[in-house]
Parts: sequence; C-alpha cells; structure tokens
Amino acid sequence: MLTKKQKRNNWILTVVLLVLSLFFLFPVIWMLANSFKPDAAITEDMNSLAAFVPPALNGNFFENYIKILTDTSFVRYMLNTLFYAAVLIVLGIVVNGLAGYALAKIKFPFRERWLMIIMLLMIVPMETIITIHFLFIAKLGLLNTVIGYILPMVVNPFNIFLFRQVFVSLPDDVYEAAQLDHCSPLKYFFTMVLPMSKSVVATVSVFTFLNVWNDYLWPSLVFTSGDLLTAQIGLNAITSNDNTTLGQKLAVITMVTIPVIIIYSLFSRQIVEGVVSTGSKEG
Amino acid sequence: MSFIQLKHVYKKYDKTDKYAVTDFNLEIKEKEFIAFVGPSGCGKSTTLRMIAGFEEISGGELYIDGKKMNEIAPMDRGISMVFQNYALYPHMTVEKNISYGLKNMKVPENEIKEKVDWAVKVLGLEEYRTRKPKNLSGGQRQRVALGRAIVKNQKVFLMDEPLSNLDAKLRVSMRNEISRLHRELGSTTIYVTHDQVEAMTMADRIVIMKDGVVQQTGEPMELYEHPCNLFVAGFIGSPQMNFYDVRVEKDGLTFADGKKVRLPEAMSQKLQPYPHLIMGIRGEDMKFDSQNLDIYADTKQQSVIENTEIMGNENNLYFAFGGITTVARVSKYEVSQTGDAVEFVMLPHKMHFFEPETERAINLEAN
Repeated sequence: MLTKKQKRNNWILTVVLLVLSLFFLFPVIWMLANSFKPDAAITEDMNSLAAFVPPALNGNFFENYIKILTDTSFVRYMLNTLFYAAVLIVLGIVVNGLAGYALAKIKFPFRERWLMIIMLLMIVPMETIITIHFLFIAKLGLLNTVIGYILPMVVNPFNIFLFRQVFVSLPDDVYEAAQLDHCSPLKYFFTMVLPMSKSVVATVSVFTFLNVWNDYLWPSLVFTSGDLLTAQIGLNAITSNDNTTLGQKLAVITMVTIPVIIIYSLFSRQIVEGVVSTGSKEG
Repeated sequence: MSFIQLKHVYKKYDKTDKYAVTDFNLEIKEKEFIAFVGPSGCGKSTTLRMIAGFEEISGGELYIDGKKMNEIAPMDRGISMVFQNYALYPHMTVEKNISYGLKNMKVPENEIKEKVDWAVKVLGLEEYRTRKPKNLSGGQRQRVALGRAIVKNQKVFLMDEPLSNLDAKLRVSMRNEISRLHRELGSTTIYVTHDQVEAMTMADRIVIMKDGVVQQTGEPMELYEHPCNLFVAGFIGSPQMNFYDVRVEKDGLTFADGKKVRLPEAMSQKLQPYPHLIMGIRGEDMKFDSQNLDIYADTKQQSVIENTEIMGNENNLYFAFGGITTVARVSKYEVSQTGDAVEFVMLPHKMHFFEPETERAINLEAN
C-alpha cells in the first residue's frame, strides 16, 4: 500500500515527466503536422498553436509526400539502407557472435587480454579511424561498392562485448549434452547458442539497424553513385536542394524518423537490456 | 571380459599441484550398474567426465569395449549421459530434445519417430511432448534427460548426480525408474552420487572415493558388512556407524569412559597385537530386547536415553556411551523416551576394528 505522501509524490512525478516529454515531443509533433501543409500554410500557422495541428484531410493532404516519393530517389535510398541494415544485422550477429562466444567459452592463450583490447576499442570513436578505413577500402578498390561500405561496419567491439557478456552465463553442460548428440561446434552456435540468447540477438539487431539507419559520415565517404546512397545522404541531398519546399523537407525528415521511432517503441526493452547488460553482468 | 577398463588413471588440472584423481583402476563388466560415491570434491564426477571425454586424462588408459578411448571425442565413445542440471535444450520441445541427437546421427525419420514414441511412453511423457523444458517440473525434466539418453541406444550410460535436484519423494520413484530402465535396456551404467542410499539401492557394485583415491570397490552389502577402512565404514550406512577409541584388554575392551565389555576369548586373542584400536558398531547391532540381553550378557551396558528420533518404521535412540554420543537403531515396537534408563548389548561378531594410525580395518577372520 502506498502512503498518502507516496501517492502525492507519484502524482507530482507523473506531471513533471508529462511536461518534460511534451517539451521533447513538440518538435516532432510540429514536424509531423507541418509535413502535410503547403509552405504558405506553414508560414501562416507559424506563430499560433495551429502550427501543431495537421491540416484537414483533403485531396492535397499527402502532396508533399507524393512529390518526394515520385520526384526523387528517396524510396530507393530507403530500400538501400534497409538492405544494408539487413546484411549487416546477419553478418554482425554471425561475426560478432562467434567472437563473443570464443571470448566467453573457448579457452585459448591470452583470452582475457584479447577481451581487454576489444573493450578498449569500444572507447575509440568511429570518426577517429574513419580515414584509415577509407584509405584501406580505397586501396582494395572497393570505393563506391556495397562490400566497401559493409566491410568495415561488420565488426563491432560493443556487440562482441555484448554477446560475450550473455554467452558467458550459458551453462556448459548444454554444450556437453549437444556434443554427445553429435552436434558440431558451429552447429551448436547456430542451433543452440543463438536461439538460447534471443534477447541479445534482438538487442544487437536493433543497435545495428539504428547505426546503419542513422549513419551519415561513412556512406558519404564511400558512395559516390546515386544508386547506392543511403537514406541519410538522400535526406541531406533533398533538404539542401533549393527547389525543395519546407513542407517537402519536413515530409522527408518524417519518413527518415518514423522507422527509428517504430524500432524504439517496439524494442525499448532490448535497448535498455543491451545497455544494462554491458555494465552489470559478469560471468 | 570387462567392458570398461580404467588403468592407472590420473587427473591433474593445470596450475595445481594436487591430483584430482589418483591411480584409479576399475574393470566394469557389460550390463553392470556401477555407482561412484563419495563426498564433494572426491573426484567421482571428474572420473565420470574423463570417461565421457569432457576432461582430458592426465595419465593412464581408458578402454571401452576393448578400444582405447583417451584421445577419442565424446560423441564417438558410444556413450550417453544424464547431467545433474538436466542440460536440456531450453528452446526445444520435449520431443525435439529427445530426437535432436538422432537427427544429427542421420537416423531415418520414421525410426526417429518410433524411438521418440517409445521413449515418451516408457517415461510417461506422452502428454508433455510439445512442452518446453521451462513448463515442466523437475521430475519431468529429468525424465526428458533420461529419454534423450536412452533413445540413442548407446552401450554406456553415464549419470552425474541425476537425482540431486529432486525432492526426497520424487528421488525414490526416479530411483526405481532408473533401476527398471537399466534392467530393461541392459546398458552398462556408471552412476555418480554423493548419496550412499542411492548407491546402495541401485548399484551392482559401488566404488567409494575420497580425495581422488578409490577407497573400496565392492557389492553394496560387502561394503556395508566389511568396510576396508574407517572412511568407508563411516560413509556407508545411516545413521553413521558408532566409533569408539578402545583399549584392548586380555578379555575384552575398555572404552574411553572406563566402561568395559567382555569379548569371546578367540576374538580377544586376535586383538591382542593391537593395544589401542577404534571399534565401530552400527546402530542396528546394538540390541535392547531381553533375548539378546541374555545371549550377549557379557557385553551388557547401561545408559540413559538423551534423545529419540521417531522415524515411523524404526527409531533412533541417542545416549552417552564410551565417551561419545552413541546412536542405536531399534524397531518401532521398542519405543524409549528421553530420560529412560536402558540396558543394551553390542553384538561382538558385528564389531569392526580399525588401526588408529592407518585407519585400516583389521580382518579378524583372516588372522
């Protein structure tokens, strides 16, 4: 039973959080509402509460969106990004998962040192090594190719660490039982370890998707051809084009934002778990 | 001919000086049920894991069906194993757990179905076929683990404390079930347990271990009646055997508290070379009934009951004697209350004698 004081405190907390969340949501609501308006209406509503209200549903309601989808290659960019994300999720789970498994369960010389090195790599920002990646990919002749874009993104120390932290707590006797069931180590990884660790697989998938979806710097360096561009680069190209109206710009931004919002709302538990497990679990 | 042979097997872990298992020798016949028993850390599970192939053998040789197994992978040793924590595949249904090994062994689909049907029937798991382990009770999980082991038709069954996570009642019924399965399947079974009751009730032969060393190997009653040392005598049997420090006199024994018992002359003579001994006697070999009091009047003693344990089928009586708290086991008809003065006798032919320094049993029959 909550005491009167606790109840009152809960109410105050709820109100404060509600006000705060509205404060953070205002720009998103504004963006969404105005993405359906022609520029004249946006300017007209700018100084009133109407700026947060979408226009009445009529024949022109989706005009900004239709214009973007028909006049630009934005759909192509979004599909490209989804494809890169899918490939990187699959490769990332396999490569980082196997590395995490080795660090958690296989005994080899200097295992703890390796883990330490990988953990240290987590604090190196991508921006500091991106030139090296670029030179490397350029030397390999992989600029402006899908492989050139994907290759440096596959290995992710954070994901290796995340997998390792979860795998370390998997019971060893299940592996022993699987061995007696004629299960090879690789088969064990794919048919036992990954299904037993669905939560971390989901977490890594979500992080990878968000990484790829939000990434701007690396694809802008690797890609020059319009056919391969990602959503973020498309967004930049479209919004910096003088012929694009403000309403259309807001429509593009909305389209880029929606997948992220959906992912966050569907997988918020995994995202929180991912962050928590890297901090507190130790086998 | 022996089916499994362990010849001078040693186990030493890296970074330690101590051997986890020292000079383990054993020959196991086909279809035999062997129990490894001993306290925690005695090396029984390590030995089992060496037989399974999960632990490297540091020294010595292991043969299964005449073939040296030291370097053979676990899956190629022809064994199945039941683990202490079941080790079920948590994301698979009962059926899939049982059939997983067969699928990997490329057994034809119809044969797999037949075997799984048989296993779930034998183990009473028919209604749980599509459940996942998390939705099963401890006993059901253990049965699935057994099912997974029996469908593969392996010649050797290894069981590592399979019942230790179950409650007492379930343990008794599973004990029977495992014994029945062993009889029906005829597999050679090695069963590790720290519970001497499990070992006594199930095994054809028991191997008692302590500190990585085999203390005694033999049939359950052989170990019970003729323990080779103080450790085995104390480990087997519940309540534990009573041990007394005694001085050997010409005609009998003198206890630490000054009490004396007369022994038959022949027995006393055989004990003469040992001035000091440890005498052990089991609770049920102390008698309180008038008939025995008459027959063994020479060993008659008195004491006062300090505590009683009513077990239902029998009672344990605790009283001070010979410098220790002695426990005697009597039938449920011989009820005594705390504070009762009692007379009792010790059956001389049921006494065990051990050398205090070596703790080895003195074999009076051989002298």
